[in-house]
Amino acid sequence: MSYLEIKNANIGFGPESNRTQVLNSINLSVERNEFVAIIGFSGSGKSTLMSLLAGLEKADTGGVYLDGQEISGPGPDRGIMFQNYSLLPWLSVFENIALAVRQVFPGYSKTQTNEHVERYIGMVNLLPAVDKKPHELSGGMRQRVSLARTLSMQPEVLLLDEPLSALDALTRSNIQDEIIRIWNEDRRTVVMITNDVDEALLMADRIVPLTMGPEATLSQAFDVPLARPRDRATLNANPEYRRLRTEIANFLIEMNEESKRLRSSPDLKMPDVTPHDFTTATSAAFREFSETDVFQLEQEEKAG
Amino acid sequence: MSEKTPEKIKYRILRFLDVTGFTVFDPVVRLAFREEPRKQIESITKFLVVPTLFVALCVGLWWVVAPNHKTKSGEVPTPNIVFSSALINDTFSEREKTKESDFLLSGDARVQALQEVDTLMSELEAELATLKSTLTEQESLYKASLASQIDPIEEKLDALKAENRQARTDRSQSIEALSLEVASGRAPNSELVEAIRKDNELYAAGRQAENVFKDQIEAIRSDKFKPLETARLDVNAVADEIQFLKKRQAFLSDSNRSVKLEQTKDKLAAQDGKLADADDAKAVLKEAKSLVRLENGVERLETQQYASAMTIYLQIKRSLFTVFVGFLMAAAIAIPIGILCGLNKIAMACLTPIISIFKPVSPVVWLLIFQIIVGAFFPDPETHPFFLFFDSIPFINSLGINPALIFSACTVAMCAVWPALVNTALGVSSIDRDHLNVARVLRLGFWDRLTKIIIPSSLPLVFAGLRISLGVGWMVLIAAEALSSSDGLGKFVWDEYQNGSSFSFANIIYACFVVGLIGFLLDRMMIVFQRLVSFDRSESTV
Repeated sequence: MSYLEIKNANIGFGPESNRTQVLNSINLSVERNEFVAIIGFSGSGKSTLMSLLAGLEKADTGGVYLDGQEISGPGPDRGIMFQNYSLLPWLSVFENIALAVRQVFPGYSKTQTNEHVERYIGMVNLLPAVDKKPHELSGGMRQRVSLARTLSMQPEVLLLDEPLSALDALTRSNIQDEIIRIWNEDRRTVVMITNDVDEALLMADRIVPLTMGPEATLSQAFDVPLARPRDRATLNANPEYRRLRTEIANFLIEMNEESKRLRSSPDLKMPDVTPHDFTTATSAAFREFSETDVFQLEQEEKAG
Repeated sequence: MSEKTPEKIKYRILRFLDVTGFTVFDPVVRLAFREEPRKQIESITKFLVVPTLFVALCVGLWWVVAPNHKTKSGEVPTPNIVFSSALINDTFSEREKTKESDFLLSGDARVQALQEVDTLMSELEAELATLKSTLTEQESLYKASLASQIDPIEEKLDALKAENRQARTDRSQSIEALSLEVASGRAPNSELVEAIRKDNELYAAGRQAENVFKDQIEAIRSDKFKPLETARLDVNAVADEIQFLKKRQAFLSDSNRSVKLEQTKDKLAAQDGKLADADDAKAVLKEAKSLVRLENGVERLETQQYASAMTIYLQIKRSLFTVFVGFLMAAAIAIPIGILCGLNKIAMACLTPIISIFKPVSPVVWLLIFQIIVGAFFPDPETHPFFLFFDSIPFINSLGINPALIFSACTVAMCAVWPALVNTALGVSSIDRDHLNVARVLRLGFWDRLTKIIIPSSLPLVFAGLRISLGVGWMVLIAAEALSSSDGLGKFVWDEYQNGSSFSFANIIYACFVVGLIGFLLDRMMIVFQRLVSFDRSESTV
């Protein structure tokens, strides 16, 4: 039996008569100390899946089990790091983290709390900004505070909900390194949601794609057998890495096309007209892919 | 370091201006620290000089337009008259203060002060005599000039009147003759009617000609004679001062507290003797009773305070106290209920009809309702423990807490409660979902969630609501005081409207500026609070 499990979970929104199924029979098993990345398109229900794991959202059927126990609600044992930081803007960096620490470790004395908070602020290299308010920090710094807050609760499972998607590329790689470094120190179980194949390959032990929503479900996983530590500079030359990357990218592109076919096929009767195409082939291709990040991936693929 | 300090000071000042909402003066500070002078001067011209000129233009317009409108209470006062009414109010309050200190003086200080007042008095009386003689001189001069102007016109008028009267008599005689002719059939009826018509027309024309002269005389009479006016004002000013000195003399001698105390004590000592001398039972009882009365008198005098007349500053103080009592009542009601409404949709649904119905009700209606309700609570306010309690608190006892103040404050609270309530409910219900998720993940209890997440996150909107509430409260208060005769700025305006002295109108306009200025300062105070609690650095609308 796995450490963290989702068993046959379904989630939908809306009234009974007109229900939109967001997640459809989700099954996921995560081993203890495993780093799993869930990759999917925007709007496919990734965040709903994360809310499900965190306990913020309840499954209609099925459930989530941690160490064999079904979880009933949110709790500090599953530390979640939100996409948009969710720092309390009226509290300083220190106070934001101290609020969590005081709540999770109510037995701590004042000095113990302070030491604990400072250790985690130090871990994300933010000691100089300890008394700053969130609005005085850059996006990367805010996300680091959010990370420190999540880690300071010493959760059994770390849930990262697209933690880096709002950051620029340079800050992104910095924080990726930081997360991996901290994870290496005391390997906890991590579930990370991302839309970036490179990020997933760099960080995770296993990558699970989430199919296009609605009625998204998890498809077959890709193991990432790359040795750690993984160096971003040399990784590109690694044939295994390149193989995996192509494989996953192709899988995603195929999934995208399939979902488009599926979307246009059902009993909707289309009018029998042929649109006149004034545009060239390339821009038509652009239009086709521009909705997703996949186009970008493909371009990189061609270039590399 | 030496380079950094002025920069630091500069940014501290700029931060202060930012928080208080006086960012208009930003370029002045920057200019003083020589930061891009050209740019600063440009923005000073645009945003300080031009607005100042505009305000000056408005004042100028007021100055020009005001005297053209004649009202029952005289001309609309010009800015200088309003300003002098402000000075008069200030002098009045100064004098009240002097009288109060005079009343409380004792011993050598009292004697010395009395001497000073006496000398001042004799000087002023001499001055008054000369001024009065100037006044009589001016009066006779004025009379002479008036006579020289009016007499020829009056002569002409009299001549015209006599002429008109004569013409009228002639006409009525001829009409009488004509009527005899018509009666005997020698002339047609129409001729008589025509003659009467003609007579009326001529009579009206004559009256009109007389009126032209009368108007001329009236115009000359109403023309002000400047030297006479100034002489009269001078006399009035000195007479006023003498009146005040007479009051001072009284408060330094017979009406002085220490003097009165001394006298009563003497009487008390004498009474002791009288009581000892009394021989029959009836006399003993009588003397003993007066002894006790005198003892009570001494006790009362020892703690007696000067009963000051209501000056505008006292009125302001009392209005401010009342508005804060009302405002705090409103906040104490609005914030908890607002939080409840924000948290609970059912509570919101329950209160929505009540809010919607009572929010638009006029303060006047509330005032009357509260007047009845509060009056019922205090049938005998003089001895009610509630007011006795307030009378025993220093600073507040001088304000004269009475039922009128309580129901004015209740009216303020009733009208100020709505914006605070609605904004608090909005602030609580519009709290960021992510922040609530943080609370859920941390498993915060209800109380922690309320105090650590919900209240801090809604504070900016709560304060925005309180700011509106205080503004509404201040506006309502002035009206409530005017109507309820509760001492304060509203009553000041109402009294001025009622008593109709030469400065009444100017005093009302002066009070209008005072009310506006205080309202502005209260609003600024709330802006500062709002800025201090807002974490998102958003600008408050000024």
